[in-house]
Amino acid sequence: MKTLKRRENIKGWSISTVYLVYTAIFWGYPFVWLFVLAMSKWNFLTPRRFTWFNNFIKLFMDDEFWRVVINTFNFMLYFIPMVLVLSLLFAMALTKVKYFKTFFMLSFLVAYVSSGVAYSIIFSKLFAINGPLNKLTYSLFGVTIPWFSQPQLAILSISMMITWKFIGYYGLILYSGLVTIPKNLYEAAELDGANRWVKFWKITLPLLNPSLVMVLVLAISLTFGIFTEPYLITGGGPMKHTYTFMMMIYTNAFQKLNPGYASALAIVTALISFGCVILTRKLIEREVSYS
Amino acid sequence: MKRFWMLLLYIILFAASLLWIYPYIWMFMSSFKPSSEIFTKFWPSHFTTEHYSFILKSAEAMQRPFVRALLNSIFISVTVTFAVIMTSAFIGYALSKINFKGRKTLVNFIIFQMLFPGFMFIVPLYVLMRALGLLNSLSAVIVPSLMSAWGIFMFTQSYKSVPNEYIEAAKMDGANDFWVILRLMLPLSRSTASIVGMFTFIGIWDNFMWPLIVIRDYNKMPLSVLLASFNKEYGSYVGPILAGSVIQTIPMVLIFLIFRKYFLQGISMSLK
Repeated sequence: MKTLKRRENIKGWSISTVYLVYTAIFWGYPFVWLFVLAMSKWNFLTPRRFTWFNNFIKLFMDDEFWRVVINTFNFMLYFIPMVLVLSLLFAMALTKVKYFKTFFMLSFLVAYVSSGVAYSIIFSKLFAINGPLNKLTYSLFGVTIPWFSQPQLAILSISMMITWKFIGYYGLILYSGLVTIPKNLYEAAELDGANRWVKFWKITLPLLNPSLVMVLVLAISLTFGIFTEPYLITGGGPMKHTYTFMMMIYTNAFQKLNPGYASALAIVTALISFGCVILTRKLIEREVSYS
Repeated sequence: MKRFWMLLLYIILFAASLLWIYPYIWMFMSSFKPSSEIFTKFWPSHFTTEHYSFILKSAEAMQRPFVRALLNSIFISVTVTFAVIMTSAFIGYALSKINFKGRKTLVNFIIFQMLFPGFMFIVPLYVLMRALGLLNSLSAVIVPSLMSAWGIFMFTQSYKSVPNEYIEAAKMDGANDFWVILRLMLPLSRSTASIVGMFTFIGIWDNFMWPLIVIRDYNKMPLSVLLASFNKEYGSYVGPILAGSVIQTIPMVLIFLIFRKYFLQGISMSLK
């Protein structure tokens, strides 16, 4: 018996060691170096100098950093309500229909598997000044809309693109939450004379809370990772209004050759992102009970 | 009255579905239109494959070897997908079916690992790749993605539903752990393998920022980066750019359509 236990121990650890070694190299080592770099001044070539919290202090006095913070919340202001309402509508519509359900799901989900580069290119063409969308608005209303060259519109356009991409995925998460709500709750409410509106606010929304929180957390974390779309379409402009955390990390590390500053920025970005997620959970997460 | 609302709902859903796939339709159609008609006509006077032959042949002379990039992308994605499935299948087995000391801690550590967003590691990982001399090679894209905490976690969860008697029976028949994993556990967890494989493939095929950082040489770029750089420098070649976008998109959509059943399963699984 004892030898069996030992054999299991040896076997378990020898398989796990492969993972642990790999993780130590490609996760642990970078993790430690992130903090070392964040407290250093370096340009990849000359010897590294330890500067304690200099990078962080510089960061908080950097106008560009605050611009990016504002931009990110500006993105969220458009993106989160849009994606939440639309994916909820999509999920609720799915619960109502009997036929073509798979077709509807797939049409929305196929956007989710679009390649970041390809769809950025396609949308930049579709939304271009001489593109199909502006042709349409021009023939209908006689106006062309500068989708990517007016600051607020550019943020809205990119939010719309990302919304397009994620509705199918988020909608499905909400849908699988909706189908677990027991039908008899609605029937009981109807007996009590509740109308649609009351049922939605008193039954659907509270019981959907876990799925809603999940979608919200995913959407918030996503906002902090936006890179491909603005990098390819607007280059961060106009007037740096679509400049994101990821672009700032990229530019500082690999174009201004200041990896220390970029690492400090990465840490701060992660902290803000965690903070937002924790705050949302505190504010809207509720215990769900079916009684 | 009820039927009227249902009909309206169906009409709205169909319209929305069409609107949602419209970018795909537009991209696909336009890649076959003559250049002068891409922005002017919905239905072109004739269809042409000139953009495809341009991007597959002439782009090479413009230092944008698309065929090479396509092969690079396929090689990278297939290698990484295969490696992630295999390593996850083995390590997941250890974490769910082998009773060793410290197993719980290890599972918790893997969950802990998944909390940290990937962008935190970009700069230090670049420094590591540079120190290892891997910059500007396909290995720079492949090596950091060979194992995935998420993949291991998914396999660990799914193995739990395989009864231990199966394993014991196989071992009675003289099977070793290696055989048990490859011939018993992996086939029984086909849906998990498909989910992990599909998301890994799509993720690595679509990865843009990391290869953009570590690869400078046009001959070693994956398709996503090469397409972006072609778009940046030869922006007026709209037709070829759209043809390239179609080529970049097709594998992802195909994989998705083939494994769509598992995709839906995967979503409900990751919610538990």
